[in-house]
Amino acid sequence: MESTPPEEVYVDEFDPKEHQGCYIFTPDGEEDRPTKRRKTKGKQRAAEKTAIVEEKCPFPVLLDGKETESTLRLRYRTYCKLWEAQEKRTKAILDSFNSKTLDDVSAFVKDATPEKYEGKIPTALVLAGPNIASHELLFQQLAQRIRNQDKTGPVVALASKDATNLKTTLRKLIRDATQQDEGVDDEEEDIIRKSTKLLNYDLQILQTWCESHEGQKVTIAIQDSEAFDSNILSDLISLFSSYLDRIPFVLLVGIATSVEIFHDKLPKSTIRLMRGNKFDVERAEECLAQIFNDSMTSDKAVLRLGATVCDFLLERYRDHTQSIQAFVAALKYAYMSHFYANPLSIILGFIDNADGLGEVLSAEHVEAVRNVPSFRRYVEGKMAAKEVGEVRKLLTDDNYVRRTVAEKILESRNYGIELGQALAFLEIGRSCTLIQNKTPRYELYAKALSGELQTSPSVRDFLMSLKRMNSTTLLNLLEKVMQEVQAPAITEPLRPLQEKIKKLVEEAEASGGKKNLISEFDTTNNTLRGTAVSKKVRLGEQKSSLTKQDTEYSALVQQVYTISESYLTTNFNSSQHGLQNVLLHEILFYDLRSPHSAVFAPRPRSTIERGLSQPQDYLACSCCTSADGEEVGIRGTQPPTSIIYQLYLESGALINIYDLWSAFYSVIAGDEEDFDVPTAQALFYKSLAEMRFLGFVKHTKKKTDHIAKLAWKGI
Amino acid sequence: MADEMLPAELLTALNEQFPCRAPQIRRLAALVGTDETPSPPSIVLHGLEATGKTTVLRTFLDGVRASYTWIACHECVTVRQLMERISAGVTENVGGVDAGRAGDVCALGVKLSGALSGVERKHFLVLDRVDRTKEGSSVLLAALGRLGEMIPSLTVIFILSVPKPRLLSSAEPPHIHFAPYTKEESIKILSKYVRRIPFQDIEEYTEEDAKEELYVWQKFCGTVWDSLAKGTARGIVQFRAIVDEMWEPFVKPIAEGKYGTRNYSSLYLLHKEMFRQETNVIDVVVPVVTGEKAVAKMHDLPYYSKFLLCAAYLASYNPARQDAVFFMKSADFGRKKRRGGATGPTKRTAKNRKIHRRLLGPQAFPLERLQAIFAGILPHRISSSADIQTQIATLTSLRLLTKASATDVLEASTKWRVNAGWDYIRHVARSVKFDIEDFIAE
Repeated sequence: MESTPPEEVYVDEFDPKEHQGCYIFTPDGEEDRPTKRRKTKGKQRAAEKTAIVEEKCPFPVLLDGKETESTLRLRYRTYCKLWEAQEKRTKAILDSFNSKTLDDVSAFVKDATPEKYEGKIPTALVLAGPNIASHELLFQQLAQRIRNQDKTGPVVALASKDATNLKTTLRKLIRDATQQDEGVDDEEEDIIRKSTKLLNYDLQILQTWCESHEGQKVTIAIQDSEAFDSNILSDLISLFSSYLDRIPFVLLVGIATSVEIFHDKLPKSTIRLMRGNKFDVERAEECLAQIFNDSMTSDKAVLRLGATVCDFLLERYRDHTQSIQAFVAALKYAYMSHFYANPLSIILGFIDNADGLGEVLSAEHVEAVRNVPSFRRYVEGKMAAKEVGEVRKLLTDDNYVRRTVAEKILESRNYGIELGQALAFLEIGRSCTLIQNKTPRYELYAKALSGELQTSPSVRDFLMSLKRMNSTTLLNLLEKVMQEVQAPAITEPLRPLQEKIKKLVEEAEASGGKKNLISEFDTTNNTLRGTAVSKKVRLGEQKSSLTKQDTEYSALVQQVYTISESYLTTNFNSSQHGLQNVLLHEILFYDLRSPHSAVFAPRPRSTIERGLSQPQDYLACSCCTSADGEEVGIRGTQPPTSIIYQLYLESGALINIYDLWSAFYSVIAGDEEDFDVPTAQALFYKSLAEMRFLGFVKHTKKKTDHIAKLAWKGI
Repeated sequence: MADEMLPAELLTALNEQFPCRAPQIRRLAALVGTDETPSPPSIVLHGLEATGKTTVLRTFLDGVRASYTWIACHECVTVRQLMERISAGVTENVGGVDAGRAGDVCALGVKLSGALSGVERKHFLVLDRVDRTKEGSSVLLAALGRLGEMIPSLTVIFILSVPKPRLLSSAEPPHIHFAPYTKEESIKILSKYVRRIPFQDIEEYTEEDAKEELYVWQKFCGTVWDSLAKGTARGIVQFRAIVDEMWEPFVKPIAEGKYGTRNYSSLYLLHKEMFRQETNVIDVVVPVVTGEKAVAKMHDLPYYSKFLLCAAYLASYNPARQDAVFFMKSADFGRKKRRGGATGPTKRTAKNRKIHRRLLGPQAFPLERLQAIFAGILPHRISSSADIQTQIATLTSLRLLTKASATDVLEASTKWRVNAGWDYIRHVARSVKFDIEDFIAE
């Protein structure tokens, strides 16, 4: 019994015998325990069984409990299927994203020899940016690449948490390096180690290993150089340097801040031992743009985010995290929460093939469809168009609704795809102009959804500069659009124009050797003339200086302009083509902000502060709330901790305990003359202890009978 | 070898190989001698970095074919490792049988006396860079010094940079000082490695060219020494690295035929700028390539992280009692304080405290103060969410913010400290358009 570890001793099973030095052991006590254990085991097994069943479908039953088992399952399966597809695409982007850095670094490791770097340790400084979460992935990829693809030798990844002191670090390094090869000559290794009897942190082990593996480089990857203890790091580096003639080390150093800070961290004599190159990892924004375009605006995306969630995610990315991983996690959460709470989300499973959708939708589902705001708007639209029969059918005939949903869902999906294409067109167009701030597509997306884009300067500026483009830029733009935008609505009318402009340029080249045709709207050359009159004069002059081809070209530019303008305005027009007019957009676009902000950016501190300073917000009891709902001050009926907290807010940095107690007593006693002092004291002590546990006050030695205030409200 | 004195040829060859080390080599010859002459129990070789201690000794021992064991102490992480290396090394060199490990100095003494008991020749145990042993204490050196006294045939040679008085706690062993090279000596040594001038139009390399090159090289070495190396790189290795680095751009005009070899002074005037800037002296991992700066892609911290960092800097470098002056949003409070402060107390403090706060290093502050300043300097209000806490944690793992007290991270009284310099902070503050200068206390 005495051997029972303390964590297994339960309070309610207190056995006085266990605290005696000597006692008679009775075996019936033993009987008790195994039965209990068996019981719990049985329970566990049962729990596991149910867990397996539940695991299959962790979603709740919706539609007021009327959702059938099969649709519930279907909802979960659809979620899994769609997210899996999305995750796969995201992962592919993430994997391919670092490819350039990987290529560069692996080439560096392949070529690196100390001779090339003046006898110093070849060092690659990998500038990986401040997003620490992505470093691990990058270094894993690097290690895999060097180990499996390039086969230059073992790779040891050292993280700051492994490197508490030099000995353990070396031990890990040697173990990782020598055990990474195929394992064929493991026994041989052991023999070497035994015969020489080296300590397990002696780099000579690695030296013997290197002697038996000719031509292998030992790559040491230091993932988080900032978090490393600088003494250990410089000791390690000087050790590497002194062994460099026997062990061909290559260093990879991950830097999150800047090379200067890395230089400041180490002594100069250590820096002198390293020489190499630095490698910049692609900026995270570009990766975000790719993932965003894939998940929001591409035609493969099924569920998209609405404007508010999108704003929230992007703002959080820009201002707080700068982490792709956090963005992907939030995206996954959006998928999950959409399918978790929206019974109609099963429709998304039929987006590619509407067969069988009608059978799946129950009467309750149809009723839910009728309750959706966009459906109501749709019906009202029909009503306004005097299609009364249609409206009657929609409202009474369930099967008709089922058919309509199956038909219209594709149409609604196309809305998202078309919007994405229009945004792609706008982004490409803007990238070809001289506009200074290149707003990426993800910034434009939220604006487009909320209908702000139609009148925004982004579109206006683009159209203006489109008019002024010369033929080289315009052809370049058209070429890019043809390649990257798959929207026939814009590419079809533009293609003949592109041909014409090409021909015109060729003609001009053949006749006069002039390669660049100028649009008549281009007034950039004469900005020197400021007044309106002089501008007019210049315009006239310029017009006369235009060649015949230029004039023809200008006409074509005008056509391109008209097409683009009408294309963009139809797509971004909020009144006719806005999101709220899309039938069932509630299913295709997830736009709930509060679950995200509650889950990803909770506010524990202000919640606790509010709970303590305004307990009536949570308790909603009649005694603490005044009749007209106005704020009330401190009252004796409030919880004692709350009273203490409110008194605490009014005090200075040091609080006299006796003052606090008398204030507390006067509040809690209220008008009662003979309030029980011991009861009040007990409450006082208890609440003060709670305050201490919450980290608001601390015992202090600065002043006797005082406690120190540690937190201020509203920070 | 059997002679009492070392052969004169050997000494000449050594002096040839290592110029300016003649006295040291002579002393070594006297102390190490031959197998017939006695050697002291221990010898200390000392001198600063790159003065030839290791190389001279090694070549010398090889030259006289002495029996010696070389231990690189800076490669040993623990004392135990050092002991095991010594015992393994000596047994291997003397040819004794391996009789188990020697974990500490006592065991080592027993083992070595066993291993060296039957040996007729003198044995030298060289402890290279013994002052850079990771765990060693002062007793360790003394104990190692005793080994030579205990075992008659053993001489322990210590190589270290700066000897302390009574280093070995025994009668002073002979010291050989390897003095740092002077300017003339450095140039003389470097003249052994004259780099070629990469002439463009040359058919044959003549004696004349070599002479000219030596002339330019020596002049150039002198200039580099006077302008840069004298103050920053007195070690011969560093000096040579600088000369190597600068040689090629310097002689480029000669190689192109624009300048003759003899008008050195005008060549110097042409390259005057080169000797003024310090790029070749500052040690960096990645050599700076001129004209590369244009494509500097900066990895950026998130927006609020930058403000947090600025707040941390202000919390570290501003006195806490002035916080109200700088960060109170209500304007009249600050003015009143400022006016009041202008009369009495400022004069007194100005007298007492003349050191700029930035030079005093960062002061520790509680996290609550950082958050309050953060709220004070933000251009708009945000409610503190978990994201802000995460960013503080990230800044900590980036070591831009460090914990200054030993208490738990979550404890409210734990103090923190900013770990970034003024230049970096100013850059960060500018990128978010925050005028940090207005908030710094003078």
